[in-house]
Amino acid sequence: MSAASSRPARWWASWVRLLDTREPGTALALFRIVTGLSLTYALGSMLAADLVEVLWVDLAYGGYRSLEGRWLVRALGGATGAVVHTLVAITLLAGVLLTVGIVARGAALVAGQGWLALTTLNPDAMCAYDPLLTNSLWLLVLADSTATLSARCRLREGRWTSDRLVTAWPRYLVIAQLTVLYFGTGLSKISVHWTPGGGFSALYYILQQPSWQRADMTWLASVYPLTQIATAVTWLWEVTWPVVVLALWLRRHPDRGGRLRRRFVRLPIRTVYVAIGLTMHVSAGALMVLGPFSAITLAYYPCLFRAPELERGLSRVARRRPAPAR
Amino acid sequence: MRAGLVLVHLLAVGLLALPDARGIEESRASWANPTVQAELRAWSSRLSAVGWQTDPTTLRNDVLAVATSWNATVTTLRTPVQPYEDLLGVRQRWRMFVVPHRYPAKLHVDILEDGRWRTVYAARSPDHRWRGAQLDDVRVRAMLFRYGWERYRREYRAFARWLARRAGEDFPSAERVRIRWWGYRTPSPREVADGDAVPGEFRQTADVALARFR
Repeated sequence: MSAASSRPARWWASWVRLLDTREPGTALALFRIVTGLSLTYALGSMLAADLVEVLWVDLAYGGYRSLEGRWLVRALGGATGAVVHTLVAITLLAGVLLTVGIVARGAALVAGQGWLALTTLNPDAMCAYDPLLTNSLWLLVLADSTATLSARCRLREGRWTSDRLVTAWPRYLVIAQLTVLYFGTGLSKISVHWTPGGGFSALYYILQQPSWQRADMTWLASVYPLTQIATAVTWLWEVTWPVVVLALWLRRHPDRGGRLRRRFVRLPIRTVYVAIGLTMHVSAGALMVLGPFSAITLAYYPCLFRAPELERGLSRVARRRPAPAR
Repeated sequence: MRAGLVLVHLLAVGLLALPDARGIEESRASWANPTVQAELRAWSSRLSAVGWQTDPTTLRNDVLAVATSWNATVTTLRTPVQPYEDLLGVRQRWRMFVVPHRYPAKLHVDILEDGRWRTVYAARSPDHRWRGAQLDDVRVRAMLFRYGWERYRREYRAFARWLARRAGEDFPSAERVRIRWWGYRTPSPREVADGDAVPGEFRQTADVALARFR
C-alpha cells in the first residue's frame, strides 16, 4: 500500500479509535438533567401564562391567527386545542422522564418531536432557544445519558451515582454543537455597531431595545465604556470559540510534543472561555428576558470537561473530599 | 458504521451552519426601515473611508446581488442534508442580536371609558400591566418585536383583533380599545447624559369598537 493511500486509512483508524473512547457519564448526565429541566420550565411557563391557546392554537379554535404546523400536527388533525394540549402534555411528561433519567433516549425523541411540532406552529412566536433545545434533545437520543445521576442508575445499581463507562463521542458532538452555536452567532453579527467602526456600541443599544430588557436600561449610559468592552469581548469570544476545541484536542495527548501543543497545554484557554461564557449568560439573564436560553446553553458546559475534572469540581462545590483522579 | 454516521452528522451540521443571507433576500420591505437605512449609511461611509467608494443605494444593490447568489450556493450545498434538518429539526442558523434595532417600538393599549382614554398596557411600564403575564412573556416579546416591523402588518392586525376581543371581556364598561405602537429612536449615551428627550410617535393604530365582542 502506498504512503498516499495509507494516510486516509490511518486517519480513519484514528477516527474510529477516538469514537471508541469510553468514560464515566457524568457530563452527559448533567447535560440531560439541565436540558430536561429547561424543557419542563419552557412548557410550564407557557401553561402558567395561559399562552398555549393564544400562540399555538389555530384561529378557528381560539388562537389569534391561522396556523398550519408540521407533519405531526397535520397528521393529528391540525392545530386544534385538543391536539395542541395533548402534544404539550406528552412533551412535558417526556421532559420529566428525561430529567429523572428513565427511558431517556425514548423520552428525548418524543420530547424533541413534540417540541419541534409545537414551536414551529407559529413562526412569529419562535425564540432562538427553540432550535437549540431541539438540537439538545436529538443529541440526548444519541447519548447514553443515564449511566449516573438518574433513576435508571438507582434502579439498576441501588444508588444515584455510578462509574459505569459510556461512549464519549456524544459528548464530542455536544461540544461541536456548542461551537457551531457560538461561532455561527459571531459570524452573523454584521452590524457596524459590533465593530470598532461603530464604536463597539452594539450591547449598549441592544440593551436599550424594549423587546428584551427587564427594566429601563438608560443607566447604562453612565457606564458606556464598560458596555463597549463587553461588546468587543463578546464578539471576539464568539468568533474565536473554535480555539477551545483546538485546545481540548491538543490537551488530549499532552505527551506528543510540538510547540503549539506545549503552548496550548500551558494556557488556561478553556477556563478563560468558560468564565467569559458564564459571565455573559448570567449577565444576559439578569438584564434581559430571554426565557430558558441561558440554561439551555449552559447545559452544554459540563461536556467541555472530562469526568474526573467534573467530579473534582463538584466535590469542591459540595465541600467534600476531592475524588481521586482517574 | 458508527464512525461513518457520526461523520455524516458532523458534515450535516457543518453544512446547515453555513451562514446564509435569506433574511436579507426575503425581507426587501425591511430595507426601508430606519435601522437598516442607518446601517447602510454607516457601512457605506466607512467603506468609502478605506477606499471602496460606495453610497447606501449602491451598497444595498451590491449586498442584495451577493446575498441572492450566495443563498443559491448555500441552498445547493445543503440539499443532501436538508432532510436531516427537516425531519429532526436540527436547524443551525444562529442569528442572534445581529443588529441593534435603533428604531424600536413599544406596544400601547388604551381603552375608552366614560368618554376618556385610559392606558391599560404599555410595554415595560410597571404601572400599566393589563395581561402583563402574557404580553411580557419571552415568546410574546419575540412576536411583538417582529410585529413592530411593517412587513408583519397582517399578523399584527390579527393579534390586535385578539387583543380587542380580550379587552371587550376584561373591561365590560369600555366602549373602544386603541392598540398602537410608540416608535422612537433609542437614545445615544450622550443624549441620556444631556437629558435630551427622545423623539417618537404613535403609529399603526387599531381603534376598535368593543360592542361587537359582547
